Amino acid sequence: MTENVTHDLKVDHTRDERARQNFVSGMRNYVLNGLAAHLRTVYDNKVEPAFVKANKRKPKDGPEVHKAMKDETLFKYYSNLRCNTQEAVWRSVIPGVEREIEDLNRRAQVLSQSTENAQGTLTVDPKFDVPRYVSELDVHLMPGNYHEERVAGDISQGAIYENGLSVFAMGLLGSRMDDITQSVSTYFQMRNPDFKPTRILDMGCTAGHSTLPWKDRYPEAEVIGIDVGAPMVRYAHARAQSYGVTAHFAQKDAEHAGFEDESFDIIYSCMFLHEVPGKNIRNILKEAHRMLKPGGVMIHYELPPNNIMTPYDGFYLDWDAYYNKEPFYKPFRDMDPSDECARAGFDKKDFFYYIAPSLNFYGTDALKKAADEDKAQSDSNVGRFGDGVKWFTFGCWKH
Amino acid sequence: MRVVKATKPKTKLRYSVKGKQSKFFDAQGVDELVSICMMLAQELWVVKERLATVECVAEKKGIVLGDEIEDHEFTPDQRAAIDDEKKAYLDRVFFTLREQAEALEADTSNEPDAPAVP
Repeated sequence: MTENVTHDLKVDHTRDERARQNFVSGMRNYVLNGLAAHLRTVYDNKVEPAFVKANKRKPKDGPEVHKAMKDETLFKYYSNLRCNTQEAVWRSVIPGVEREIEDLNRRAQVLSQSTENAQGTLTVDPKFDVPRYVSELDVHLMPGNYHEERVAGDISQGAIYENGLSVFAMGLLGSRMDDITQSVSTYFQMRNPDFKPTRILDMGCTAGHSTLPWKDRYPEAEVIGIDVGAPMVRYAHARAQSYGVTAHFAQKDAEHAGFEDESFDIIYSCMFLHEVPGKNIRNILKEAHRMLKPGGVMIHYELPPNNIMTPYDGFYLDWDAYYNKEPFYKPFRDMDPSDECARAGFDKKDFFYYIAPSLNFYGTDALKKAADEDKAQSDSNVGRFGDGVKWFTFGCWKH
Repeated sequence: MRVVKATKPKTKLRYSVKGKQSKFFDAQGVDELVSICMMLAQELWVVKERLATVECVAEKKGIVLGDEIEDHEFTPDQRAAIDDEKKAYLDRVFFTLREQAEALEADTSNEPDAPAVP
């Protein structure tokens, strides 16, 4: 079921709006678990045998599976309903945000200016140039994307994003919608118990779900979130203040974040790189390398690369690149993360990746067991939003 | 039923996604038809959830008041029951898709043919 936003930026959705949201969460569950299983049945029983008969071999990669699947009626329904459901996620929360927008903006301003619960800072750049790959695209079919503003001090896109995420997540991300970074950071801490970071940067932080869990792991560390969307950093800051967590937020482009050389122990991102074109990803990784202290670590929660997936799972995950307005998703998944780290100045031998079971779904014991074993074994649950999800993470130490 | 008077928002947000739309079906209008069906399913769900709310509130109080319906929160058990019903409901609405997949799992090699279509 939908986990509703509960902090001081909570939107008062009507009973029928909440029912619409519940429907969309259920519909997503149906499409991503029910219909996706039927899709697999069609592939195993019909499409792959026909392909093998015609070609004397199995499909070699995701695009070959895609080509063989795309004329299947069930694939068309799956895809159409997934697009419709994705759009319905945002449309189910926009009316409440629209109704309360003036009050939400005022509440955010009060929270940001208050130093009572927390002492984080907010920096918005009025002359900021939003990169084209954000300004020209409604990423994952979200009207207004991360950056659109209608009035001064606007946070509405932040509110749409977080409320939408609560519908999208079907309860998988927990009550603060932060399961990914809770799981990933806990796994990292379990693997590296002696590592004591004092300064942590979260790049592409959106509403701050990926930023605040680092403060849970390392309460003494200074934690900073940056994003290109002004509504996002305003929202993230007000949200952190409401939760009583001191974290700093600034409108900055991760390609040229501009912090001093060798000034962070951890540079992190969560579900960020796959929304960025390849050449910009390379600049971001170089910038991270510059800003990391020797002995520091870069960590990215991401979609797993195609080179560790079966052709069918690759096809399944790449769907978003073609149909969900996430055009850089497949080029990113076709990259080899260890090559990209090396290109950015890291040493390839310091590269690592791990697969963290969802804390919310599996619990702490399972996460501890996985961290102890550290097998990084890929399977169909990795990066795939649904029951039993596991989170793929890669990174590199700097020496 | 409590009637909520619609007010025009001072600041309008955008509901439509900009740019090219994905289309999946060859026949014109089918993508739109599926979209309309899904929205109908959603609105029917809204009615079903409101009705469930009415029943829960009525049971609790013996009297139905509009504001109580608006503010009612399901208990975790009620929520779990209604979520189960939603799952079954979706399976019913989209049954044809499940049937297509399941048909592939059954051995139908001995099924008698229907007469040839003239």
